[in-house]
Amino acid sequence: MFQQISLGLAEAERARDAILAALTAADSPIALAIADEHGVPILLMRQDGAPARMLSRARSKAYTAANLGLDTVVFRDQHVKAKQRTLDDWGDPMLTTLQGGLAIKTNARVVGGIALSGNSTIRDEALAKVGLEAMGLAE
Amino acid sequence: MIQQLSIGLADARIAVAAALNGARANETPLAVAVVDGHGQMVYLVRRDGAAAIDVRAAERKAYTAAYIGRDTSMWRLQITHDGRTVADWANPNLTTIHGGWTLRRAGQVIGGIGVSGSGNEDRDEQLALKGAEAAAQLAVDAWRQTRDPRRIRDRSEVRA
Repeated sequence: MFQQISLGLAEAERARDAILAALTAADSPIALAIADEHGVPILLMRQDGAPARMLSRARSKAYTAANLGLDTVVFRDQHVKAKQRTLDDWGDPMLTTLQGGLAIKTNARVVGGIALSGNSTIRDEALAKVGLEAMGLAE
Repeated sequence: MIQQLSIGLADARIAVAAALNGARANETPLAVAVVDGHGQMVYLVRRDGAAAIDVRAAERKAYTAAYIGRDTSMWRLQITHDGRTVADWANPNLTTIHGGWTLRRAGQVIGGIGVSGSGNEDRDEQLALKGAEAAAQLAVDAWRQTRDPRRIRDRSEVRA
């Protein structure tokens, strides 16, 4: 037997509230996905006016970050581009290299993934970071 | 041009909370999903301990209720009566598992709500109904706000 640590709904809701509070009038409506360490959603949210594809992207980003234990931009630059691979090499249709998905780690373990879509991918990632920090997990 | 109504995030969150709060403390944890009129996800919550399949099932139930425009249990009765199966719709996201309710306003489908995790599809359906009722109550409240309470009190509107 072993015990697995996983993100809980309480942390996900803290992240949700922090992200909603951080949005400005310049932001487009966002989609947010927070997943456990297997990439299974804990909280999905799409603001009024955000197209449905934004949430599917956010889901894929959160799944990718959680499943691989990598921020999606690191996955893109170091694991795909730098080694001249394509996403097909992983054989998992849920994986994406779009920026904006962050792995959630505590005590050197991956416990989940958080991702946004709706704005520029750089802004998506910045907002995901706001959520990550609001979870208040130990390093 | 046409105007389409759709459930918004604020109402979706209230509906999800109502379904979650409807469960007793000793019941197994739930996943609850609310989708818009096209069946696209608006808000989903998975309580601690609810399984991956509950996320999938809640989403499929909500999707079916919005896309078909029938509560999932009613839809099962209907297609069974008609001698059909879900496969006739050629859409892998459809399900007849109980626990999906269609959300309507002003005669339009504005979304769907789905619940999974109680361990019993009929209990899932009861809990989803609590969410659907909360959404319907919001419609009533919104309608009341558009009325002048004095005119309703003296019923002049009705007599006219």
